[in-house]
Amino acid sequence: MKGTQLGEFEELVLLAIAFLYDEAYSVAVVEELSRRVDRPVILGVVHRTMQRLEEKGLVTSRFGEATAERGGRRKRLFTATPAGERALVEARRIRNELWAGIPRAAFGGNPA
Amino acid sequence: MKKPATPRPPGWAHKLLTRITAPHLLEELEGDLEEMFRMRLRQHGYRKAQLFYLLDILLLVHPRLWRRKPSPYPKPVYTQKLYLDMLTHHLLLAYRSSLRYKSSFVVNLVGLSTGLACAMLIYLWVSDEMGIDKFHAKGDRLYQALLNRQLTDQVVTEHATPAPLAEALVHEMPQVAHAVATTAGIQMPLFTLTAGNKNVKAAGQFAGRDYFKMFSYPLVQGDENQVLRDKNAIVLSESLARKLFNTSQNIIGKAVVFQQEQTYLVSGVFADVPASSSDQFDFLLSFEVFKDLMGPGATNWGNTGPRTFVLLREGVDLQGFNAAIRGLIKAKDNAANTEVFLRPYRDKYLYDTYENGRLAGGRIAYVKLFSIIAFFILLIAASNFMNLSTAKASRRVKEIGIKKALGSGRGTLMGQFLGESLGMAFLSGLVALLLVVLLLPEFNQITGKRLVLRFDTRLIAGAVGITAFTGLLAGIYPAIYLSGFSPSAVLKGKLPQRPGEGWVRQGLVVLQFALSVVFIVAVTVVYQQVQFIQSRNLGYSKDNLIYFGVEGSVKEKLEPFLSAVKNLPGVVNASSGAHSFLGQQSSTTGLEWEGKNPEDLTQFEVVQVNYDMLQTLGIGMSGGRAFSREFGTDSTRIIFNEAAIKAMGMKEPVGKTVRLWGEERQIVGVSKNFHFQSLHEAVKPLFFILAPGATWNVMVKMEVGKEKETLSRLGAFYREFNPGFVFDYQFLDTDYQALYAAEKRVSVLSKYFAGLAILISCLGLYGLAAFTAQRRRKEIGIRKVLGLNEMGIVYLLVGSFTRIVAVAIGIALPLSYLLTSRWLADFAYKIDLQWWYFVGAGGVVLLVSWLTVGFQAVKAALVNPVTTLKSE
Repeated sequence: MKGTQLGEFEELVLLAIAFLYDEAYSVAVVEELSRRVDRPVILGVVHRTMQRLEEKGLVTSRFGEATAERGGRRKRLFTATPAGERALVEARRIRNELWAGIPRAAFGGNPA
Repeated sequence: MKKPATPRPPGWAHKLLTRITAPHLLEELEGDLEEMFRMRLRQHGYRKAQLFYLLDILLLVHPRLWRRKPSPYPKPVYTQKLYLDMLTHHLLLAYRSSLRYKSSFVVNLVGLSTGLACAMLIYLWVSDEMGIDKFHAKGDRLYQALLNRQLTDQVVTEHATPAPLAEALVHEMPQVAHAVATTAGIQMPLFTLTAGNKNVKAAGQFAGRDYFKMFSYPLVQGDENQVLRDKNAIVLSESLARKLFNTSQNIIGKAVVFQQEQTYLVSGVFADVPASSSDQFDFLLSFEVFKDLMGPGATNWGNTGPRTFVLLREGVDLQGFNAAIRGLIKAKDNAANTEVFLRPYRDKYLYDTYENGRLAGGRIAYVKLFSIIAFFILLIAASNFMNLSTAKASRRVKEIGIKKALGSGRGTLMGQFLGESLGMAFLSGLVALLLVVLLLPEFNQITGKRLVLRFDTRLIAGAVGITAFTGLLAGIYPAIYLSGFSPSAVLKGKLPQRPGEGWVRQGLVVLQFALSVVFIVAVTVVYQQVQFIQSRNLGYSKDNLIYFGVEGSVKEKLEPFLSAVKNLPGVVNASSGAHSFLGQQSSTTGLEWEGKNPEDLTQFEVVQVNYDMLQTLGIGMSGGRAFSREFGTDSTRIIFNEAAIKAMGMKEPVGKTVRLWGEERQIVGVSKNFHFQSLHEAVKPLFFILAPGATWNVMVKMEVGKEKETLSRLGAFYREFNPGFVFDYQFLDTDYQALYAAEKRVSVLSKYFAGLAILISCLGLYGLAAFTAQRRRKEIGIRKVLGLNEMGIVYLLVGSFTRIVAVAIGIALPLSYLLTSRWLADFAYKIDLQWWYFVGAGGVVLLVSWLTVGFQAVKAALVNPVTTLKSE
């Protein structure tokens, strides 16, 4: 099993899945991310990322209901697992620690 | 832009997606794409939606798209012990199934082993043919010079070159390392050599001094720079040295008498020329001696005769060199109509047919033909295996189902089936090897080769390669087909029927029988053509005619010898000539007649004869008379054949005069056309002139039925008249047949191959028929109970096979027509293709297949329905 280390895009997708909660499926994730990031979000990439997340045990999936919009096909709904939550928390902790440790001068401010 | 009523994403892209996507991903992906398409349709319109749809599909392409869902079960861990266990298990199963289904086992074994034996024999032959002339160490730089001669309407390519060519090449072209001239043409002439009181006939030629530096005939004694340097030098082969001196050691400097005239001293001994050389000779003499014999002709650029061989320096480009020497002969002799060019020496044997100055093949055609035949026979044999294994599948579905249910993967099963067919192939390979050993002497006799089974790496690699190829070919389809069964379906007792499965099986049968029909037609046509050639009236009689060389006392006292021979009992007639009547030998364009177009380059074959030659050969006259002693002045006369008269466009030729090489000659007669070449060629213009001094062949016609006594009388007389020479005669008839040796070999071999092809195909059909009868036994039982009689059942079973064989015949006949008419096109005199060749071949195949299937059908029809219906 690979580590629970998250890639940047994996982290975004996992966050989107958690954010969308009960309505997290590929198209919704694509839309959600497209709204927030300033670059095209590609369906294939999202798909593959979600497969990877599932293989890592960070999300689980189930089939949802079929809709006419989808030509009568079911969507695959994703839910973050406790392991997924831990991975997100861990990622945030690392960021926070680093943020906290950045000296003010690093961004051109006066050193304290 | 016009919008479709309900905008849909492009169908083809969708279809493509469904083909490559793994099943467990397909539904959600289709849904996603559709949903996004509709969304974009609303936001951006049809065109953009379509574009994005395609783009999305394109960006989906990734191994994850088609990777199958991982199995939820752990993979089996293969240990060495498990491998071993599985192997013994497979072997056990294969052994049991061969015991249980003996008939199909035997069918497979016989079919595969005969097919393999056949392929191995052909492999031996082909590799022998390909190996000829390939043993020379400098072979990549070794060339033969050929001439392209421009005639009125065509270009002919000749081996005979001007005698000074070799020296000129060495002196004028810096790219040339060595060049030599040699005398012999296609066959080395035989000469009489004497050492002490031993006379031996041996094949030999004159050769330039660097001969041994160019060709890899290793010298056992002597130095390659020295052996051909002196005019009185002779180089012997080891076996000839042993014949002459009983030893090949320490014979340098010993004397050998050539033709009872000239004495030469042994300057070297070379290892016997290997069978893989296209030039076969026992001794060599210096070419300088030959030049003296030729006199002024030795420096003449217009005369041709010797062959010229060239060794180029390393890195010389052949094309550039050929362009440079193109005009060489023209520069020496302005009247020449020839251009010289080099061709690789190693191509001399296989690629020797030139048409209009261009390479048109040669023996390589037969090499290719037999390789193709070998492949097809293997294909037929492998089809049997494929057919029987897939047909037998019904008996093995349970085994496959259980194995799959127990966790065996598709790969393992494929391995098992491929392994079985490879095992079968190697078993057959062993049987085939045995067959090859048994058949090799016979095969050698037919092909005129001395093939031996030497177990060197090449042969083993070849045999293993052929066998493995057959095994894989035979096993690949059953392996894919059988391992693809779904376990749940087969364990429920359903035999999965894929569409096209029946097609494959029937297609294989069609292929087998189509090939058989083609083989039969080809055999018939080749046989008929060979018969036609050998029985064709050649315009002269070659039966009971022997010839031997004019040498020694016979040469000195030719007239007395001939008249004495004529008086021997049993001799019908005798004469001498300078032509063997077995091929083109010497021709000229130096003939002038009234009204000749100065541009005309018609070649006339020159035949120098003694008195009585036309009578001895039985050549008929269509006008005038033959040469006769009664007139005494016939040495200034000339006789033409009808083809020559036609070529000159002469009316009333007898009595007219022509100029030959500047001298006036009166036409005394016109002979009927006769074939002095192989029947591949049309009869060409020819003339006879009376020149007893230039003749080198005595021809003797004997009485029918008294050949044996006459020959012994002739031999006794010859030895008395010409002591020191060996009476070595040949039958013209035999030599004539040798002209068609290639055709004859093809005829005999293809007969065997056709027989084999039919045998193997029928074996397969037999197996299939047995299988069908077995599978339909319940149906047959019910039909019988309901009142169908035995004939009806036979008809039912035979009918379904007849259709398949009929399709095969329908495909094969046009194909065989095309192939045979192309082969015949090569002959100037040929048979017409008869309709019955084709109908006959089809009929034979149909009949044989009826017999094969009929036997099974009758067996099935006679079974009591109770026995078949009571089971279950």
